[in-house]
Amino acid sequence: MDTQLPDIFQEKRLLGEAGDTFWRRALAVGLIALAASVALGFAAGDHGRSFFFAYAVSFAYVLSLSLGALFFVVLQHLTRAGWSVVVRRVAEGVAATLPVLALLFVPILIGLHQLYHWSHAEAVAADHLLHGKSPYLNVPFFVVRWVLYAVTWGLTVRAFVGRSLAQDASGAPELSLEMQKRAAPAMLLFGLTLTFASIDLLMSLDAHWFSTIFGVYFFAGSVVGFFALLAVLMLMLQRAGYLRHAVTVEHYHDIGKLLFAFIVFWAYIGFSQYMLYWYANIPEETGWFLRRQTNGWGWVSLLLLFGHFVLPFVALLSRAPKRNRKVLGAVAAWMLVVHWVDLYWIALPELRPQDPLPHLVDLTTAVGLVGVWLASAAFIMRKRSLVAERDPRLAESLGFENA
Amino acid sequence: MSDAKLTAVEAPPARWGLLAEFESVEKLLAAAEAVRKAGYTKFDAHSPIPVHGLDEAMGIRPTRLPLVVLLGGAAGCAGGLLLQWWTNAVDYPFMISGKPLFGLPAAIPVVFESTVLLAALGAVGGLFVANGWPQLFHPVLRSERFRAATDDTFFISIEAADPRFEDGATRALLESLGSRAVEEVER
Amino acid sequence: MATAPVLLDNSHEDPRRRAPLVLGEPDFGAITEQVCAIVEKPKPPRAWYVAFGISLTLTGVLFAMIGLLFLQGTGVWGLNMPVAWAFDITNFVFWVGIGHAGTLISAILFLFRQRWRTAINRFAETMTIFAVMCAGIFPTIHTGRPWLDFYLLPIPNQMGMWPNFRSPLLWDVFAVSTYFTVSLLFWFVGMVPDLATLRDRAESRWKQILYGILALGWRGSGRHWHRYERVYLLLAALATPLVLSVHSVVSFDFAVAQLPGWHTTIFPPYFVAGAIFGGFAMVLTLLIPMRAYFKLENIVTTRHLDNMAKIILATGTMVGYAYAMEFFMAWYSGNPTETFVFVNRALGPYAWAYWTMVFCNVVVPQVLWLRKARTTPLALFVVAMIVNVGMWFERFVIIVTSLSRDFLPSSWGMFTPTWVDLLTLFGSIGLFLTLFLLFMRLFPLFAMAEVKSVMPQGGLDIGPHHGHGQYWGEIPRQHETQFAEDDR
Repeated sequence: MDTQLPDIFQEKRLLGEAGDTFWRRALAVGLIALAASVALGFAAGDHGRSFFFAYAVSFAYVLSLSLGALFFVVLQHLTRAGWSVVVRRVAEGVAATLPVLALLFVPILIGLHQLYHWSHAEAVAADHLLHGKSPYLNVPFFVVRWVLYAVTWGLTVRAFVGRSLAQDASGAPELSLEMQKRAAPAMLLFGLTLTFASIDLLMSLDAHWFSTIFGVYFFAGSVVGFFALLAVLMLMLQRAGYLRHAVTVEHYHDIGKLLFAFIVFWAYIGFSQYMLYWYANIPEETGWFLRRQTNGWGWVSLLLLFGHFVLPFVALLSRAPKRNRKVLGAVAAWMLVVHWVDLYWIALPELRPQDPLPHLVDLTTAVGLVGVWLASAAFIMRKRSLVAERDPRLAESLGFENA
Repeated sequence: MSDAKLTAVEAPPARWGLLAEFESVEKLLAAAEAVRKAGYTKFDAHSPIPVHGLDEAMGIRPTRLPLVVLLGGAAGCAGGLLLQWWTNAVDYPFMISGKPLFGLPAAIPVVFESTVLLAALGAVGGLFVANGWPQLFHPVLRSERFRAATDDTFFISIEAADPRFEDGATRALLESLGSRAVEEVER
Repeated sequence: MATAPVLLDNSHEDPRRRAPLVLGEPDFGAITEQVCAIVEKPKPPRAWYVAFGISLTLTGVLFAMIGLLFLQGTGVWGLNMPVAWAFDITNFVFWVGIGHAGTLISAILFLFRQRWRTAINRFAETMTIFAVMCAGIFPTIHTGRPWLDFYLLPIPNQMGMWPNFRSPLLWDVFAVSTYFTVSLLFWFVGMVPDLATLRDRAESRWKQILYGILALGWRGSGRHWHRYERVYLLLAALATPLVLSVHSVVSFDFAVAQLPGWHTTIFPPYFVAGAIFGGFAMVLTLLIPMRAYFKLENIVTTRHLDNMAKIILATGTMVGYAYAMEFFMAWYSGNPTETFVFVNRALGPYAWAYWTMVFCNVVVPQVLWLRKARTTPLALFVVAMIVNVGMWFERFVIIVTSLSRDFLPSSWGMFTPTWVDLLTLFGSIGLFLTLFLLFMRLFPLFAMAEVKSVMPQGGLDIGPHHGHGQYWGEIPRQHETQFAEDDR
């Protein structure tokens, strides 16, 4: 290399006290908000249904972001990516919350009967379709599947985050090769678990409806959410003085490009799902969309069309906005909001087909889960370097420029 | 070999400029920068590959072709929508399979294709216009040595029409920049 | 002459440095010589004549079959009710699918900064153009009345009619013609610098004129390169969603219908993955023999084969995922006809086609998990051939099984291809190969300028533009020994 690269060991790369303050505060806010949500749920007098739906939406939200992070980490190893080394550790930190999310899944199990029509034996007995699906949609198998998902994700996190941390200590390039080797099977397992997790958690809220592309739709949204999150996190960390020189506008440009690409991909998948059902016009398929087009839910659908696709598409189309931290940060923050709206739009019409506006409990639960989840990420990262500081491709990432 | 024929083309033997040969990317970059800094404007670099950093060295301003592409795309998008709406819902309304005469979901595929088509045509059309293609003859192509410009050799050409062009000084500059050979090109 | 190809395996990864993409440390001139030699040799090798003779004969067969079709009508095909779509559209989807690899390599891999694409992009793009041309034949002839094909286009006619834009078949017209046009532009623009190379090396007058006109007066100008690179990037950005759209639109032909087995939402991405899968298989089918015959192992290295095999494995896995999702949802939907269609595919009268498809597309590609298979050209060639067959059968299975047994058992029927059907399919392969063989004798089959630009002399590490990973480190050996002397 003929030009000087920033020295990674000069960078502020440990969260330190600021991190401790952050996770304590975030945890406090999160727990208070969750407690408030439970209280609101009881007050609603609907056997906790509004609370559990709110919880399912926001759990799907944090889960999707963590899974997006896991996808990113595995993909970087699968493709031997060089540019992303300086931002990969932050993604690893987000992915490492997946074991915590296994704990946060417990309330879903508690609220199973409130959430899922198919979990009621009498409903299944009275409904021929549900009866036919019961070999898949039944409580014990549901629990078994989620145990499998949790184990798969936990092992993936250990295989990749663990090795990456070990490389911080040893600098051994073999670790990169080991991760590369494990990346392909990990991706396969990731694809299958994410698909069925999304079917279980969200699609089966309306157990009559089905769509073969649903897993891909959830995946697309997750990755959009993750890249938005990555941009926001890196900007906030840098503002707080971390990794000031290591992460440059070039990395933001690439994150912006990927965010843009997945926004388009999300629209493509969403369009494919909608248009095919719209065109064939078979009642058992269109009912799901009908609920999302009537009684005011149409406005939420339009918000998604414009907010989740048209506006960010225009905003990120050219080169300059992707290289402007303020614009990119604003678009990314907006995408984090509309990604939540997307999940809300999937889940809530099943509970309140007449009422598209979020209730207070939806918002407090979102704050609660995001708070606890961010706190756990910061807690996990509190003693870890924010950058994979001895990754063999670090120099390539530090010197990276978009030609 | 058909050189004899090539050079026998009747042309007024006026001088077009100088052509200097360089052996490597590094030398080309340094020379392009030096020529620009010496105040020349009517000069060009020639290379068999796209050389990164040459834009800055030569002081080329970013092309406005992306704008042409954007306009092409916008025209294609609007045109695709109008075409489908006017033909199927206005000029020849025809009810088929219970679909609305103009329904956006069914219109999207064609709108997308027409957007991409016109944007791409804009890109390539703009490239042709901006580069002056096809321009089958150019004075530098007279040079026998220049045949290597599409193989493995790098060149800098300076036009005699450049206000700073001076016979001896310009040649001396090019030679001082490490040119392997400087030759005069006829118009 | 060209430097003798150095047979080194550069597919082992050392994460500390990027492996070289061009082996044997040639200079620019050597690359030019090596690539141009294929075109410039006064006479093509004997194998070329043999291949050309066979493919030209097949092309003749194709046109004879088309002539027969026009004379006698579509009755010469095995079509019937209920299987009113069979070989013709299967062939169309097959060829369009093959046409996806080229633009994927030139556009998507370009955007992902996969520099190894430079060695194979021209090859794959050329294949794309010819595959789409082959594909275009089938919708054109399938009515049996090709002189009425202009009905497909929105041009005013004496009946005052307009085409029905709500029909996915019309979307197909737009998608395929746009794809062909944009691919052609992309391919031609990318070839201009290399055409200039051929012009500058031309020994005969007619070659000078031919390549001179096609090269448009290219003189490697820095100002031209600047715009050229910008346009290349823009075209890549436009072609990337375009690639996805084309096979998505093709999938809409089926998926908008209510027919069980066709109407399912995963069809668009599933078709795209399948197209890339099949397209890469066809690239390898043509590339591996060429590479061996013309000794191009220093340009199309083992690493290139390894990477392409990985893409085949990845897209093949996506296709397998789609098969599984379709099967699962057919059952999950609780729709008895949907479930029946899938059981019928696996156990019904066309089970042989279904299991051929599963074997070729899902089972066989699994060997690509093995490094040895990915880096052994012969093994890779065999897998690619099998995938080609499998992808044809995939379309056949989707189209014919669903049509032959739909909702009403009283209207079930079987399809049996006639000899005209079969000869038309084989004839189209002949046309594809004929065009390809002609191209390789006339035009540069490898993007010389682009290959040179990823060589050390290309100067990518000069000035501010570094950090893409320098692709000219030492060749890593087996890492077990390599990392013993850790230099960290």
